[in-house]
Amino acid sequence: MANYFNTLPLREQLNQLGVCEFMDSSEFSDGVNALKGKKIVIVGCGAQGLNQGLNLRDSGLDVSYALRKEAIEGKRDSWKNATGNNFTVGTYEELLPTADLVINLTPDKQHTAVVNAVMPLMKQGATLSYSHGFNIVEEGMQIRKDLTVIMVAPKSPGSEVRSEYVRGFGVPTLIAVHPENDPQGKGLAEAKAYCVGTGGHKAGVLRSSFVAEVKSDLMGEQTILCGLLQTGSILSFDKMVEKGIDAGYASKLVQYGVEVITEALKHGGVSGMMDRLSNVAKIKAFDVSEELKEIMRPLFQKHQDDIMSGEFSRIMMEDWANGDKNLLAWRAETGETAFEKTPAGDVKIGEQEYFDNYLLMVAFVRAGVELAFETMVEAGIKPESAYYESLHETPLIANTIARKKLFEMNRVISDTAEYGCYLFDQACKPLLADFMKKVDTDLVGKNFNEGKDGSVDNTQLVTINEILRNHPVEIVGTKLRKAMTAMKAIKTV
Amino acid sequence: MSEPLVSIQNLNVKYQHKLVIRDLNWDIFPGESWLLTGSSGTGKSSLAKVIAGLQSYSGNVTFSFNTKSALPARVFYVESWYQFKNIEGVANFYYQQRYTSLQAKDTLSVGAELRNFGKEHQLEFTAAEKLLIELQFVTFMNSSLLELSSGEHKKLQLIKALWLKPQLLIIDQPYTGLDVLSRVKLDHLLNDISAEGVQLIIIANDTELPSCINRFARIREGQLERLPSAKLDPVSMERPGRKLPDFLKEAPVYPSDEIVRMINVNISYGEKQVLKNINWEVRAGEKWLLQGHNGSGKSTLLSLINGDHPQSYANDFYLFGNKRGSGESIWDIKQHIGIISPEFHWYFDSSSTVWQSIASGFFDSVGLFKQLPFSKSTKVDELINFFGLTDDKNDLLSTLPLGKQRLVLLARTIIKNPELLILDEPCQGLDLHQTQYFNKLVDELSSNGMTLIYVGHFESDLPACLEKRIILENGEVKKVETIAESCLI
Repeated sequence: MANYFNTLPLREQLNQLGVCEFMDSSEFSDGVNALKGKKIVIVGCGAQGLNQGLNLRDSGLDVSYALRKEAIEGKRDSWKNATGNNFTVGTYEELLPTADLVINLTPDKQHTAVVNAVMPLMKQGATLSYSHGFNIVEEGMQIRKDLTVIMVAPKSPGSEVRSEYVRGFGVPTLIAVHPENDPQGKGLAEAKAYCVGTGGHKAGVLRSSFVAEVKSDLMGEQTILCGLLQTGSILSFDKMVEKGIDAGYASKLVQYGVEVITEALKHGGVSGMMDRLSNVAKIKAFDVSEELKEIMRPLFQKHQDDIMSGEFSRIMMEDWANGDKNLLAWRAETGETAFEKTPAGDVKIGEQEYFDNYLLMVAFVRAGVELAFETMVEAGIKPESAYYESLHETPLIANTIARKKLFEMNRVISDTAEYGCYLFDQACKPLLADFMKKVDTDLVGKNFNEGKDGSVDNTQLVTINEILRNHPVEIVGTKLRKAMTAMKAIKTV
Repeated sequence: MSEPLVSIQNLNVKYQHKLVIRDLNWDIFPGESWLLTGSSGTGKSSLAKVIAGLQSYSGNVTFSFNTKSALPARVFYVESWYQFKNIEGVANFYYQQRYTSLQAKDTLSVGAELRNFGKEHQLEFTAAEKLLIELQFVTFMNSSLLELSSGEHKKLQLIKALWLKPQLLIIDQPYTGLDVLSRVKLDHLLNDISAEGVQLIIIANDTELPSCINRFARIREGQLERLPSAKLDPVSMERPGRKLPDFLKEAPVYPSDEIVRMINVNISYGEKQVLKNINWEVRAGEKWLLQGHNGSGKSTLLSLINGDHPQSYANDFYLFGNKRGSGESIWDIKQHIGIISPEFHWYFDSSSTVWQSIASGFFDSVGLFKQLPFSKSTKVDELINFFGLTDDKNDLLSTLPLGKQRLVLLARTIIKNPELLILDEPCQGLDLHQTQYFNKLVDELSSNGMTLIYVGHFESDLPACLEKRIILENGEVKKVETIAESCLI
């Protein structure tokens, strides 16, 4: 199979990367009608599979689950999840031949095997849905020409897809139709109906393409979302311990700090997060993040270049073929870091203290979000897509760290994200070595404001505020967040 | 006279920036067990939390525990509202979650929770086993915390307290959510531990109390006022003379005369069957009382009617004339129904204001996601005025006292003048005045022909309009009867 993106002429590459439309709610006035009375079969019954299925059924649609024979006979968790909620469960052979819409919600890595098993069984003219485009774009999977191929990707964990639906809302969702597989022109209507069925239409829907989704998703997850949060967390913890801060305190500050800090990011963007700092601290955080941006920009660019050329996928798939040799080694290494092994201390850290004593992370987050966004946009990805894959998802990932540190984050995210995260982390730490030598506890571990009188230069502050507020990620973010104001806070602290 | 166990001097406590306790003095001497009563919002729970060390205050609070006693020298506080957390320490649940079957368990089991508690306080598990049997809780040992109803959570907290036997035990609203039998058993158990030396403070608005309670007080204008007995001043049965908004007087338009029809409905989780062969019919305009012991299946039954139960789809039943699972969405069902239950309240959005909470009733959503047209927002204002909540309308719901929160949720429930009103223990946590006011209101509201299903354990807490009764026992229908022919318990 050849990398699909690389088979396209430049004109078409740019064309597909540029598909990006924030949809108006009036476009969903047809509700679930395009799927009403159709037979929907979901392949896989993990967190996304089960929760999306519950929502679709509660929206009046006909949902059942196709599982592998071994999962059914062994009464595995996926079988229990589906039957325990009174869904019809059957083998691929039993259910797929009559399905109008087959939704593939298995892990990315299994897509080639699953799609190869599913495709021959699907009836003429049916629709196949993905939640991630890697298989199509990077692995170059060719889908039978009579089938329609769509993508519906809720930008939240499965449990939240369900909890937001039952409270009458939804989660922001990305939809796409694969231009090579839309023989009847029904793809968009079905993707929209699917989106209504899961409640996504209430929280903002971005129409994208398989190509744009993959190239931006990979970039976001390996740089700002997982890579930088991992690097920043480990370096911050090590620095504090080196400087004699209590290890339990340091562990707690790092584990929960990133969640508290990015909660401000979620509600008010980068400037909202920076506004949580005092004026002196904000000026410092601005300077530090400018320096970080300069140091890390080449690395962000390299990641984007490798993603665009297909080099990243190639080496990752090589590792898949090699029994995950690199991945497993890096995973073990992450499990052995001092941060991972030091339990959070039994100390109370106030909400504001997480900002005041962890200025370094605020600077990391600003640098990472802006760099990821800028690099994606430079590469031809539209600002809305770049926003979703950088700023929007950062608090979601931060929440996984708050729950069980980096090990948990890497367990929850996709295989591709985990691989890319380690790749970034390995390259970023040496890059920041000189920078970190200069860092002291005023940036991480102690209150930056301590011993300062708080006075600042007016013009300097005004200039900084203007730079922060006028960054393109803030302009597009303000528009998109309006559609998702009702997003619930996910808080561990 | 011996030294007081607790001595409180010049206590001042704020609740949401408002001073609720003002220069309060209180001595609790050995041998005394107190009832603390008073209307909702007077600061009873705040005072309890001060004694338990869970609330900041100014003034003096000193303890002299009995050093010779074998009982733990500590205060233990049972909240009226217990917020459990999942395994990862997050309390981010939604109320339909307990009906969903998911293999990856999110919360601890009852057994594990109790074992953790026993370990933390170095208690013998055999003592807990006796309590589990006494309060009929053995069958819940393997249930996860998420699956418990509010009454069952209450029991679990009581079991912990009775097991620990601290020198001072404070129980906030011990009876809310308990069925009649459990209530009697609890009183016996409280008397038993009192005889062993545990001193009690019970916060309640009941007149029937365990006999060990020998001191009575209420909080009035921020101060402690001693009372001769648990009897409160007689309350006026008249509700304030505000006029019911006109839009609530309109008779509901029924799409079908058949509101609910269940044919041999069964619900089980794995091996455990919670509803067995339920047959039940509710017709338009009927006023039903639904009763049954804790764990008898009441809330599961109601969740089926409200479109909240995933197992609905494999059962044979009809709602508003349509077969369930015939292509309708849960929102199609919910638009006919107004529902309030302790569990629903428990998981309600704490970031909404009073106004937003009530307005969200138009969309059956938890949280308000849409702009209201003028015609609807005037209805919200009218109803807020009717309930006397105008001063609170911009406050966050979660900052109000429990009793007021319930009124807000009732307002939310009726804002769309639904065909079917489901009130599952709506008066839990309300004081006597509020309960009577509330039930009067239910009578008045439902006189327009609205269908009603009401869950309540105690006769004194029921509205007068109820005419039919269904009783569940261990997941089965034990009895269906007309109330006129029988008398209530």
